Amino acid sequence: MIQSKGKLGIKEFISIIALTIGTKLSDDTPSIIYENAKNAGWIATILIGVMSFIPVIILIKVFSAHKDKNLHEVIIYLFGKILGNLISIIILVLGASALIVDSGVYVDIIGTMYFTKTPPSIIYLILMAVCAYGAKRGIEQIGAVSWLLLPYLKITLLVAVIVSINEGTLGFIFPIWGEGKLEIVKASAKNLSIFSDFLFIGLIAPLVVSFKDFKKGTIISLIFVTLEISLAMVTFVMLFDYTTAEMLSYPFHETIRYIQIGFLTNVETLFFPFWLVATFIRFSFYLYLSAILLGGILKIKEFEYLIPLVTTIVILIGLSPDSPSIVLYTMRQYILLLLSPAFIFLPPLMWLIAKIRGDFKNETVQESS
Amino acid sequence: MRQFKNLVEFSLLIIIVLSLTGCWDQKELDQKAYVIGIGLDPHEAEGKVKVTYIIANPEVGSQQSGGGTNEPPQETITLAADDFISSRNTANTVISKEISYDLLRVIIVSEKLAKESDFIRWIYSAAKDREIKRSTKLIVTKESAAKFISNNKPKLETRPHKYFEFMIDRGQQTGMIPNTDLNDFFRVTESDADLFLAIYATTEKEESDRSNMSDDDFLAGEIQVEGVTNDAQFIGSAVFKEGIMIGKITGEETRISSLLDDTWDIGDFKTTFKDPFDERFRISARIAKTRANKFEFKQQSGRPVIDIKVPLYIEVLSDPSMINYAKNKEKVNDLKKAMRTKIEDNITKYIKYTQEEFKGDTFHLSIPIRTEFGTLGEFRDFDWMKSYSNAEVNVSVDIRFGEFGRQTKFPKLEEVRD
Repeated sequence: MIQSKGKLGIKEFISIIALTIGTKLSDDTPSIIYENAKNAGWIATILIGVMSFIPVIILIKVFSAHKDKNLHEVIIYLFGKILGNLISIIILVLGASALIVDSGVYVDIIGTMYFTKTPPSIIYLILMAVCAYGAKRGIEQIGAVSWLLLPYLKITLLVAVIVSINEGTLGFIFPIWGEGKLEIVKASAKNLSIFSDFLFIGLIAPLVVSFKDFKKGTIISLIFVTLEISLAMVTFVMLFDYTTAEMLSYPFHETIRYIQIGFLTNVETLFFPFWLVATFIRFSFYLYLSAILLGGILKIKEFEYLIPLVTTIVILIGLSPDSPSIVLYTMRQYILLLLSPAFIFLPPLMWLIAKIRGDFKNETVQESS
Repeated sequence: MRQFKNLVEFSLLIIIVLSLTGCWDQKELDQKAYVIGIGLDPHEAEGKVKVTYIIANPEVGSQQSGGGTNEPPQETITLAADDFISSRNTANTVISKEISYDLLRVIIVSEKLAKESDFIRWIYSAAKDREIKRSTKLIVTKESAAKFISNNKPKLETRPHKYFEFMIDRGQQTGMIPNTDLNDFFRVTESDADLFLAIYATTEKEESDRSNMSDDDFLAGEIQVEGVTNDAQFIGSAVFKEGIMIGKITGEETRISSLLDDTWDIGDFKTTFKDPFDERFRISARIAKTRANKFEFKQQSGRPVIDIKVPLYIEVLSDPSMINYAKNKEKVNDLKKAMRTKIEDNITKYIKYTQEEFKGDTFHLSIPIRTEFGTLGEFRDFDWMKSYSNAEVNVSVDIRFGEFGRQTKFPKLEEVRD
């Protein structure tokens, strides 16, 4: 493996995506999908994965013509300065609000399920401080840590899944089509944006060692997280049945509180730290992405100094809502709804313009010039 | 400059590490009073419940104190409260430590409260509370929960958390009490297709003339036990429909439920059958279900027909009529036939009983039936709870014999008496 400074290898790249997107199974994403798809949530997840392939492949295609540019630079190149910046700003606002709402959800999980007496503001501060520190260390370090911890995090998750499947009843996943095939398609279309992070991953495209690795890594991790989240959805239904699974705010945490491994009860204390580490990595990466994009828009080369600023904004806005679990849940649904079109339509649009401008033909010419 | 940077990073690290201990939620073991069981009883005033706590003494039986403490293993207190969440603070007028539900194992409800339509309101607080786990067991008692708790004095396993754990685990292995918990209660109530079984227990003994019944056709309180032991009996189940208790079934009926239920992991249990070769005696047998049931479902002119095949593994443990089964193939076949008809009879009778009495099944029959439907909408329209009571349920038992006890041969009775 070529270890150049400031670059990500394929292993690290895949681990970052596996942790940032894979961790979604442990927040309220499953509840949002269950709401429409009921016990067929796992089929909906696979469908989301399959549908995501189209924008992801097109995005990769666009990047193949602009190998040394990140998402923002490609947008500027394709749409021109004014329109490009506008699109980037919209993406930044959407991404930042997703970050704020997501971090709020995680603080709510920690606050309601584990540290019930600690004020949420303190949890928020500590969480974001740790993540800001992680983001400040740069993408290589985030990648290295993800790769280092990936086996531990996924093995503990697998243990939880195996124990739950053992305790659960397979019969609960029937009737196989849930509320009906149409409902599954609706649920998938509505929540397509759970994989919209793949759009933002374009921001670190030039940081991956080679374009081939970026392409391969993106596709492998898309398949991996689809299967992972889908498996988790099956597990939750097997344990709780669809009526209950839909009512739970955070099925993953109810699961690890419910299961018992042999004579060990209260095993959530075993899973919680691993989950927490995954959370740290996830938000470090998001902060880093936001900083890159903001730096790109404001033309700040040393964008890493923007991280404290972004963190502060996130904390201040994130702390404002009352009764976070309800507000955030609805907010999250809105943001998912807004992100979906951005995720579906932006890559084809970019591809179309690139095609018209003839970028794909001049590939070789551009590189030599 | 470099030194300064190191200093900042180091102090940041210290702050982060220190904050991990969680200053607000940090509590020492001896600052908390661990509630093992909560008892719930109806209160005369509307909108109130009587809450009883079983609080464990963590010092008893622990290795560090060498088991040597003069304090009793548990403390119980009863108080009237609005629910069992706010009652935690009210209890602190008597209990010196902070009340914690972290180790809660059982919720004990009196039959009277369980039969009230408001019961579901009280119990749903458990889904809201942050400390109560969904694996908590639900016990229904014949007398008031407070009385059950004060009468329940285990002689050997005095630590309450261990007592409840062992008592319930063993009861579930033998199939005498149902293998269910709070999660199942919520799940069954919310999906509204089956009936939920809760553990039934009492400390009140009942005089009964049921000595002619077989070993396990009893409800809690009906078994005549002599000697110096605990009064509490755990046998049978309380039946809940739509979150309200509607009846109870005996230990044997609970076992039949367990045989029909594939979600239910039972060990093996010992029971007796009438000896087909000598009316006076009963044969002991060990029954285990090693494979899953087979269900077949069809609809004949609007009436659902379900065929259930129950595979059983039976070891015959006694031979009171001294048949010498090992050498007598014909008699073994006869015995198998007799057992099969007896078990099939009992199961069919029980199913009929649930159809007429409870109008719902207690053994998750809706789960195998769900596979026959394409969508949830179709399944809901079918309305299993309603269809069950006029469904035709055919049960066939498939018996495989195991060993015939440790020693398979017996002396011939005539030769001994010669």
